[in-house]
Amino acid sequence: MLRIEGLSRYFGGLQALADVDYSVEGEGVYGLIGPNGSGKTTLFNIVTGLYRPSAGRVTFEGEDISRRGPHRIVAMGIARTFQTPRIYARMTVRENLRAAQHTLARDVRLAGAGERIDALLEATGLADRRDELAKNLPLPEQRRLELARALAREPKLLLLDEPAGGMTPTETHEMARLIEEVAAPGRACIVIEHKMDMIAQLCADVCVLNFGAKIAEGAPDDVLNDPVVLEAYIGRNAGAA
Amino acid sequence: MDEYTIQVLSNIGMFSFLALSAYLLLMTGEISFGQQAFFAIGAYASGIVTAMWGWGLGLGILCGALVAAAAAFLLAWPTLRLRGLYFAIGTLAFAEMVRLLFEIFSYQIEIDGELVGPNGSDGFRGVRYVFENDISNFQYMLLIYGLLAAVLAGFFLIGRSRLGAIFRMLGEDELLAEMQGVNRTFYKVLATVLAGFIAGIGGALYIHLNTYVEPKIFNVMLGVHSLAYGLIGGLGTSLGPLLGVAIDIGLLESIRIFTGYRMIVFGGLVAVLLIVRPRGLLDEEVIYWLKYRMRRPLARTARRQADAAPSEAGDAQD
Repeated sequence: MLRIEGLSRYFGGLQALADVDYSVEGEGVYGLIGPNGSGKTTLFNIVTGLYRPSAGRVTFEGEDISRRGPHRIVAMGIARTFQTPRIYARMTVRENLRAAQHTLARDVRLAGAGERIDALLEATGLADRRDELAKNLPLPEQRRLELARALAREPKLLLLDEPAGGMTPTETHEMARLIEEVAAPGRACIVIEHKMDMIAQLCADVCVLNFGAKIAEGAPDDVLNDPVVLEAYIGRNAGAA
Repeated sequence: MDEYTIQVLSNIGMFSFLALSAYLLLMTGEISFGQQAFFAIGAYASGIVTAMWGWGLGLGILCGALVAAAAAFLLAWPTLRLRGLYFAIGTLAFAEMVRLLFEIFSYQIEIDGELVGPNGSDGFRGVRYVFENDISNFQYMLLIYGLLAAVLAGFFLIGRSRLGAIFRMLGEDELLAEMQGVNRTFYKVLATVLAGFIAGIGGALYIHLNTYVEPKIFNVMLGVHSLAYGLIGGLGTSLGPLLGVAIDIGLLESIRIFTGYRMIVFGGLVAVLLIVRPRGLLDEEVIYWLKYRMRRPLARTARRQADAAPSEAGDAQD
């Protein structure tokens, strides 16, 4: 579905991504982890067309999307959320979800789009908040709103950038449940997250970036115990101490 | 209605087009200091076709609006990559360019032994269509408000449509809108062209009522005003900019006690409002409050009646 080959991206002299190969095939939840500044969000930004790759290629369902504009890429069935929630603050919760559907193909927009929004509001626990201005929601609800809004487009590939960032353990647990039960069925989700319990619980496959390079990929149990990964997160002498 | 009231109302109506033009761009998140350029282009273009080429007033107004829209399209391309402050400066520079072009633009023909047409900084005199066709000031005021009503109806339709939603999405968060499939370039150009069209109507109406214009009328202050109207009146509804115009022209310019103090009071008003109500008097929160808070009690009453109805029906059967 998504295939990334030899992807590099420089910002001036800084190499944010270094020759990364990564691919996602079929539905399920895929983890993308790494220390701060390792290039995870940059990878999302390239996939969604906000940045152009300096080198390498991104293909989605067989089509090269590395040089396409964002609106054309997302029209192919990719949706995302943001590390710092981005919401239409002066619109209501329901209008935020409606907004996500405005650029969908006409037949999709007209066929049960409203019912889908109501179902999503119900599933994400925002039904009581539907007529509230989005800026009045607390952070955990804003994150759930972002998730519901991304799902309102019924994407084939969903990119979640720290969906549980800044959440308490209870809220994190609830978000993990939402991803597993509401978001994941029928599509591929790539999740960036620092909460390893959540990654271990949700993902069958985890990819680790460090300083822009891929250092490990595989099943969560293997990856999270890999000495190279531990070193990247904790530092060289941690094992000895 | 006395002549003075008609004149004030006509002015409010004509400058409302300019205010709505700036407001449309504010909706999409862009600040333009240059809408007066399209007002000027609309005025000159429509004046040329009626006074010099002998077209009718209706065609003249349409032509003014279309030429202004075409000019807006030309402005939209080079300024597309500019955002925020840079877009604002770009539009300001464009408007000054247009004004200075009219300062040197001369195109006159002889009609009945008299030279008619734009003549550089002397302006464009002798646009007498309204005078020659015995259209009274009152009739002309009705024409202004008829067209204004049509434009407002357009705003309300757009506001309820997908297009309006996309404009608001761009206005709130351009990047997010793009991430939801909005073709930013297309819709920004569209908004700029529509805004040019609306300002062009205002300019066309203006030149025919006053029979002449001078390039110096279309200076930066006019652009600042047109922007300030929306910021004072409110960005939550297209009636906001109209409220702004009514406050400025209806109150400050036309009531005698403010004579000489108009700009001081107006400037102060803008400064105060930007601090206490950054999105104007009729901002999104007011509109939201009107829409939802006012509706709730009604909905509750309706529910109560609905709950009560079956039992009453039951009572009746007993």
